[in-house]
Amino acid sequence: MIVRIEALAEATCVIPEGRLDFDAAPGFQEALERVLGTAGKAPAALIIDAAALEYVSSAGLRAVLLAARAAQRAGVPFALCALQPAVREVFDLSGFSRIIAVHADRATALARARQGRS
Amino acid sequence: MPVRRLAGLASAKTRSFAQLLIEGRGPYARAFENLIVVLIIFSVASIGVESIPGLPGWAMRTLHVTEIIIVAIFSFEYLLRIVAARNKLAFIFGYQGLIDLLAIAPFYIGGFDARWLRALRLLRLLRVLKLQTHFLEKVVEERTRELAEKNEALVKAQAQLKAELEVARSLQLAILPAAFPARPGCQGAARMIPATTMGGDFYDYIELPDGRIGLVIADVSGHGVPAAFFMAVARTNLRELALRHTDPGECLAQTNDALCAQNPLELFVTVFYCMLDPKTGVLRYANGGHNPPYLRRAAGPIEALNGAGGLVLGAMPGVGFPTHTVQLSRGDQLVLYTDGVTEAFNPAEELYGAQRLVDEVRVHGSGTPAALVERICQSVTNFAGSAPQSDDITLTVLTWGAP
Repeated sequence: MIVRIEALAEATCVIPEGRLDFDAAPGFQEALERVLGTAGKAPAALIIDAAALEYVSSAGLRAVLLAARAAQRAGVPFALCALQPAVREVFDLSGFSRIIAVHADRATALARARQGRS
Repeated sequence: MPVRRLAGLASAKTRSFAQLLIEGRGPYARAFENLIVVLIIFSVASIGVESIPGLPGWAMRTLHVTEIIIVAIFSFEYLLRIVAARNKLAFIFGYQGLIDLLAIAPFYIGGFDARWLRALRLLRLLRVLKLQTHFLEKVVEERTRELAEKNEALVKAQAQLKAELEVARSLQLAILPAAFPARPGCQGAARMIPATTMGGDFYDYIELPDGRIGLVIADVSGHGVPAAFFMAVARTNLRELALRHTDPGECLAQTNDALCAQNPLELFVTVFYCMLDPKTGVLRYANGGHNPPYLRRAAGPIEALNGAGGLVLGAMPGVGFPTHTVQLSRGDQLVLYTDGVTEAFNPAEELYGAQRLVDEVRVHGSGTPAALVERICQSVTNFAGSAPQSDDITLTVLTWGAP
């Protein structure tokens, strides 16, 4: 899987592409930790744009959960957006969409991040 | 006696000194060897210089003095080699000893005039160079052997680790129940196929004090040793709490809190837990983030037990899990599974999917639970073909009121 990172003014977007399974989870987790862990330069918000994410396994869910917790500890708003139906189902089934903010698309997620800051 | 012992001691000391210089691998031995090489080259070159006609007297004298020094050092070296040799006669009359002797003997017999015979020292040079090549070969040989030994140790360590994992795996498989509790008109079967040596899936049948049967299917995030440990902790907690709670939702809530309190690796587990009253066919269930099981009605239709569930267990303490109730009819069949079934990939990277599972249940559900479990496992394995199994595959089937 490929993970792209886009640093915008109102949030840093992490964009995973492909399958987030047992093999891909450690790399994805590392990317999220790098975004959150940059000392003194924590992003205003962290958004996972899942538009190109095709599949999430339980190991992938764990990586997302760990990042959500780390973001909470760092005081960084955390959200997911643009989930494909199959991925959305996994987040709903596991109950994760009840403890992590999920938005329909990136524009909504960014708008919410701006509101949170003002 | 003391004198002889002293002499013995001294000779032992001399011999070890000689061996250090001649056969050692340390800096002294190397320096000594290099010195000999330089002297050989110098003495051979001096033959040419001496043959220049009309050389001044001081130059001839210097060359003679150096020749005496060189012969003295070679003689000293020759003696050292004899002292160091284990079999002295073999050395003296051997190829090496004779060459060494040829390098100094002409001087003792013919003095400075025997200078042309000094060319024989070139033979020594050849010998020394050959020795150095031999030394290098020995070093390479030794390193190769060391490497082979280390490699062997590594292979051994890996085999041991593998053997220990095998033991752990059989222990893990052993804590999964081998048979469904015998109840009249109530049949069950289950199977777990781990993806790696250690799986993170588990199932359980629990005989509750009031005569009901508890049925569990669960999937720990990830797999390998950490998932297997978390699985054992989750299974033990759930089993213990199931005996004390008559409400499945309450049981999951308590198990969740217990897991959150002892979860250093921040793993989580999806759990579906249901209780069946074998007398009345009343099924009560609660779901902690697990794939909803299928209920194949004896009359034909297949429905998912998708009553609202809660969060996966171990992720956040203090969350609730709603309990739902379903009335079973005689011959109804319950199919519990983990996502290793529906998310098995084939070589073309297609998912097995829920539809294939539902189709299998529809077509083959009328048989015994054991036959259906076998049938679905076959179907998933056939579908996956040569694609590697990426997740544990676990199935539990229960038929109520079967004749």
